[in-house]
Amino acid sequence: MIEELEIILETTSKILQKHVNHSLRQNIVSENTDILNLWNDIEKNGLPKISVKEKFGGYEIPFFSILPLIKIINNHGTPLPLSETILSNYVLSESDINPPNGIMTFATDTKNIQIKNNMISGDILSIPYLNLSKNLLIINEMNNAKQAILIDEINGEIIHKKNFLAEPRYDIRVANLNIAEIKPLNDKIDFKFLGAILRCAQMIGAMEKVLDLSINYCSERQQFGRALSKFQAIQHQISDMAVELSASSAALSAITDINLSDNNFNDIAISKIRAGAAAGKIIAISHQVHGAIGFTKEYELSYFTKNLNSWRNDFGNESFWEEFLGKTFLEKNNKNLWEYLA
Amino acid sequence: MSKFNFPFIKETNELSNLRKEVRDFITTCINNNEFTPSPDAWVFSADPSFSKKLGSKGWLGMSFPKEYGGHQRTALERYVVTEELLSSGAPVAAHWIADRQSGSQILRYGNEKQKSSIIPRITAGECFFAIGMSEPDSGSDLASVKTKATKTKDSWKLEGRKIWSTGAHLAHYMIVLARTSPASEKNRHEGLSQFLVDLSLPNVKITGIPDMTGQRHFNETLFDNVELSDDSLLGEEGKGWKQVVGELALERSGPERFLSHFTLLDSFINEFRNSLIHSGSKIVGKLISEIQTLRRMSFSVASMLQNGESPETQAAFVKELGNKFEKMMIETLREFSNIVPLYEWPNQLQNLFEDATLRIPSNSLRGGTTEIMKGIIARQLGLR
Repeated sequence: MIEELEIILETTSKILQKHVNHSLRQNIVSENTDILNLWNDIEKNGLPKISVKEKFGGYEIPFFSILPLIKIINNHGTPLPLSETILSNYVLSESDINPPNGIMTFATDTKNIQIKNNMISGDILSIPYLNLSKNLLIINEMNNAKQAILIDEINGEIIHKKNFLAEPRYDIRVANLNIAEIKPLNDKIDFKFLGAILRCAQMIGAMEKVLDLSINYCSERQQFGRALSKFQAIQHQISDMAVELSASSAALSAITDINLSDNNFNDIAISKIRAGAAAGKIIAISHQVHGAIGFTKEYELSYFTKNLNSWRNDFGNESFWEEFLGKTFLEKNNKNLWEYLA
Repeated sequence: MSKFNFPFIKETNELSNLRKEVRDFITTCINNNEFTPSPDAWVFSADPSFSKKLGSKGWLGMSFPKEYGGHQRTALERYVVTEELLSSGAPVAAHWIADRQSGSQILRYGNEKQKSSIIPRITAGECFFAIGMSEPDSGSDLASVKTKATKTKDSWKLEGRKIWSTGAHLAHYMIVLARTSPASEKNRHEGLSQFLVDLSLPNVKITGIPDMTGQRHFNETLFDNVELSDDSLLGEEGKGWKQVVGELALERSGPERFLSHFTLLDSFINEFRNSLIHSGSKIVGKLISEIQTLRRMSFSVASMLQNGESPETQAAFVKELGNKFEKMMIETLREFSNIVPLYEWPNQLQNLFEDATLRIPSNSLRGGTTEIMKGIIARQLGLR
């Protein structure tokens, strides 16, 4: 399986190198044939169903093992919801729903949801890349039970187009929208945790890119007669970025290597705290060392820092998970701290 | 892609059992009043009899080969033992440097006589070391050392001064970095060599320097034309720089870079658990996330050392992040005094807190400053 994954990572890199460039990112609309071509190549190689069960036509590689793929996708700054599709298809498959083909996105925030006669009404909020997506997974809670709802023909009134931080997001109001399938969410799955991990892996991929951009820019840009990278003040700032990035990777690596079955919620919390904190510092430093060029639309740094700003707020920010982690320790056992940690 | 990875290493059942064994031993020692947990104990709290006891348990020189009295265990096993000792504030300062770096350095570069005469004593907890790097005029700029070793017919003459030699007054040996030939114009790193110096030799003068806490661990060590035997050279003449860089990787990557004041955090949480549940779970969560991340990184470096890699840069990452964490931890506890004022803290906790506050500036100086760590990282990123 490791070998299979290696091949997939290599293929993915090639596809993304071929298609993704900064002008593609500036035209994220469904009419953009370059985006469609990219998606077709992705789908042809089976990437959307990498974690989907074999019986549904997937590779059945555990979601925790494919985080390196999520990193690569976002290291390239791929402007479509491939990461979201991979997670959604995995969750559908685990909940015994056959994931359809095509671009998929997800929503977890909803208001006034009503389900009747296999139709859904209400407000569905903060849907990333809705404008590109054919399918939608809604995680809904009804009578304290979670449901996975698949919509394969999205139709609704856009009530808010938002997220100038990064990828387009939409709030929509739907009335009697047909549900393709609805099933109880697999009880091993907590979408908030999975979403947090997804965003961590995405952030790390993007932060690696931001570090590389900063190193390259500072090595080329000459001021006061020498490259910026020769100034100790700049070197130290970039070192700080590398330290933050490494800490985030180390925190996430504790998760890539375990199965869902013995998955430790604390590790996920730690990973999201670490990556979110790192992103804050890395956004600030990368813009500082880039100067004004980093603040322009035509230079690609801002694409990555905007996404980082968005993802660090998703599925619980640092404070949320710090509170979670602290409470878990303080309230749920009487151990002293060291016994608890080690 | 990321340039520095810290692959996740899982703690096996064997390691967890070892951890428990050490923990039980420490609990017994504390219950028998054999030591009182203290902060920064690996620098400040030396107890040769405790070191000897650890030696007899087989917890010193753990990874050294059996033929020299070692235990041929892994760097990961050693890591687990050091974590338990540090987190409990045990008095480990006497043997710390010998066990952490000097022994490995001798095993790697020493001749047969050096190995067979010294390693078994380190392993037994009977032979202690001090570090011989910094000098009055050479701090961060280590390659500028002026201490000089001159070859005579059948010996070496050592002339110079080392400073900030922690524990030299208790130590039997010092590994001294000295110049054996002038620096070449192109490369200052040439012409340096390491020497294994017996501190009981005539003309070695050790003077204590009280630090700002008033305690003595610092020393100045004067070598006033000290005659060293011919076989005091450690490793290869002129290769001292390469050797010392490897030694620093051992020095920088361990859990002492973030667990020096763990006893303070532990007592703090035990004391204020109830208030923290109401108004401090966020700060506790933040501290937990940082400690666990650092433990993973440091454990990962131990595994790199075990595999014979040279994780000098990764060690700098651990030290830099660990130093930052310790400073952040003390600031975090200080902010809590807004909820329970300091004067209401139990006396012992107040003392631990003040002690830590006082000592914390040294954590990002000893073992290489923040600026040096960032410089090492910047070099690896291709910026220098």
